[in-house]
Amino acid sequence: MGDSVITPPKLRLDGVGKRYPVAGAPDTVAVDNFSLDVRQGEFLVIVGPSGCGKTTVLNVLAGLDTPTSGTASIDDRVITAPGPDRGVMFQDYALFPWQTVHGNVEFGLRYGPAGANLDQAAREQRVRHTIQLVGLTGSETKYPHQLSGGMRQRVALARLIANEPEVLLMDEPLAALDAQTRIVLQDEMLRIWGQDRSPSERRTVVFITHAIDEAVFLSDRVAVMTAHPGRLKEIVDIPLPRPRGDATRALPQFQALTQQIWSLIRDEAYRAAAA
Amino acid sequence: MTAALDSRTERWWTTASVGLLLPIALLSAWQVLGTAVGTPRTPLPLNIVKAAAAMIASGDLPAALLQSLGRVFGGFLLAASLAIPLGLLMGYSRSVERNLDPVVETFRPIAAIAILPLAILWLGTGTSAAVAIVAYAAFFPLIVNAVAGAKNVNPTLLRAAATMGLDRMTTIRTVVIPAALPSIGIGLRIAMGVGWTAIVAAELAVGAKAGGGGSGGIGQMMFVFYAYSIELNRIIVCMIAVGLVALILDRMLRAMMRRLMPWAIQ
Amino acid sequence: MNAQTAGQRALPDRTWGALVYLRTMLVFAVVWALVARWTDNPILLPSPLTVLDAAVALARDLELFEHAGISLGRMVVSISLACVLAIPLGLAMGLNRLFDRIVDPTLEVLRPISGIAWIPLALFIFGIGNALPVFIMTYAAFFPILVGTVAAVRAVDRRLVDVARTMGIPQRTIVTRVVVPAALPSLLVALRLGVALSWTAVVAAELIGAPSGLGYAVEWYRELLATPQVMSFIAMIGVIGYLCDAAVRWLNRRLTPWAQASR
Repeated sequence: MGDSVITPPKLRLDGVGKRYPVAGAPDTVAVDNFSLDVRQGEFLVIVGPSGCGKTTVLNVLAGLDTPTSGTASIDDRVITAPGPDRGVMFQDYALFPWQTVHGNVEFGLRYGPAGANLDQAAREQRVRHTIQLVGLTGSETKYPHQLSGGMRQRVALARLIANEPEVLLMDEPLAALDAQTRIVLQDEMLRIWGQDRSPSERRTVVFITHAIDEAVFLSDRVAVMTAHPGRLKEIVDIPLPRPRGDATRALPQFQALTQQIWSLIRDEAYRAAAA
Repeated sequence: MTAALDSRTERWWTTASVGLLLPIALLSAWQVLGTAVGTPRTPLPLNIVKAAAAMIASGDLPAALLQSLGRVFGGFLLAASLAIPLGLLMGYSRSVERNLDPVVETFRPIAAIAILPLAILWLGTGTSAAVAIVAYAAFFPLIVNAVAGAKNVNPTLLRAAATMGLDRMTTIRTVVIPAALPSIGIGLRIAMGVGWTAIVAAELAVGAKAGGGGSGGIGQMMFVFYAYSIELNRIIVCMIAVGLVALILDRMLRAMMRRLMPWAIQ
Repeated sequence: MNAQTAGQRALPDRTWGALVYLRTMLVFAVVWALVARWTDNPILLPSPLTVLDAAVALARDLELFEHAGISLGRMVVSISLACVLAIPLGLAMGLNRLFDRIVDPTLEVLRPISGIAWIPLALFIFGIGNALPVFIMTYAAFFPILVGTVAAVRAVDRRLVDVARTMGIPQRTIVTRVVVPAALPSLLVALRLGVALSWTAVVAAELIGAPSGLGYAVEWYRELLATPQVMSFIAMIGVIGYLCDAAVRWLNRRLTPWAQASR
């Protein structure tokens, strides 16, 4: 899997930096000189200790944050604002509490440009299909406060993909779940992403997690960040075969990759815990 | 360090100037329009300032304010001495609460000012009625917040006290009361505000009914200016004084709370 | 609800609560009757039964309800006015920092001046009549609703707005479809406070400056030294105050079921 030279990367971060002024102290540098290309159809995971700026990087890609130096671009267009081409999923899902499951999933199609070309019937069909895809059929009329954590995560995912964004940006989406639900949803995530399809047929995903095993299980490549300031330390290729499942976790290569990544951030993690 | 300070003072100045834009514009418009199209009776900002100076210099305004404040504090202390212990007890003991709560909840929706005619009937139009009204008004926020404070004591703290072998009285004294203090503080602030409004209302109403004499206080002064001398500028001075006192009382209480209970973020 | 282990709690909580309430009020009434007999001054403290008789008589010839209706009507008008003024202003102030910085200081200066302090000046402007209570009540409700709206808008979870932005939803739609629904629960809490303050103000305003309504009735009967009637109307003031609060609480439950679940 060499770098493609002919087609431009789907996403490009070029020397991205973000610093915040602090009263009476030197600026806080959240991210420093971060450069990374994300290929079309790739599942890229960013891993790093707390405070390494991974969320800032994601926010820059989403257009919710502007970098103080460098640029972020999608398909060679500079990112300046959020948009439906880059869907975002936050750690605590941020579901609209006054909307049902159906209302949440439908929201972007109803009020945003993603649904501009759809008449009501087509929109309804897409909503139903998406709800079915994430396995929530039968819960359409429930409210978020009536759902379990795993179900809320599915709603957030459904809301995200109903708009059919080209890029999915996810900030620790599985962090709030218990360990068992997490494993189930990791499998679901790969299925929904379409891990058995070719790269040109599937969406590009940038996924943040602090769980290394999750990173190795899901990704094509893992970008390891270090903290203070947030920098890209190394990119690790994950050549594990797809489709992946329970058997993948038992592979010796899986262990080796996990160890390799852990050794990259171990010192950081210990330092962060002592701070 | 100096650079940061400068930017902070600079921001304060910009905030202050932006904030002053609207009031200055409104006051100027008022002065100009009022002078142009108004009658000699029309209150104007400059006349209000002059009236304020006169009322302060003659001592009338401070005297009236002090009289009202005295009544507020009197009523406040009366209410607090009853409401806080009672409220803490109610919050701590379910059975006490069950028995007393109906009475409290029945009278709570009845505003102090509604009780005023009754108070006048019983105590006449003087200071005692005014103090009674303030006490009634302040009672409810104080007791409600004392109950909430005692109820919301972290049960883990109570269990810790039990494991340390503390008896009931000591637990109440050393755990429940300190834990309930922030809530009581909120109750004090609300009660003070309510009490101050109540005294103004009571004095206004008494002033309206009892004619020019007798009860005194800022509320009565306002009514006299309305009914007898029709001094609109002076009425407005009183209104501003009422507002200022309310503000000062609130800030004072807040500062006191911060001193006494630095751990409670209000 | 385990009836066996609860011992005397053989009834559902609700019924039990009602019984305890009645018992306490009965004790209260008995104490009252005893004190009334002891002071033996029907003007100072009539017996509970006398008050009850007076209340029934007032209810029967509808006088009680007439005045209640007038006061209630004034409050409905005032709350509506206050909402129409305060909510859009609060939305604008909560959403736009600059607008807030310009308008807020002026409002902060006016806010400590309670509605009641306005009565003499308002009396001069409006005279005695309907307009005075409505003005005072609108003013009294305005500030809590405004402050509450601003706080509610500011407290809206930033993420919800961000999510909508990433969907490419235009700003105006974000305000109407995200900010307003998200702020609604807090807004309704502010409305409760506004209603309570407005109702308090009605009595003060009517006592001093209106020819009708519950406050007026209380004062009218006081001048006649008809204590039972005075107490009846005071009780009515309390009842309606409670009912209005219950109504807003119901509205809160109805419109924002998701917020109740977490309470």
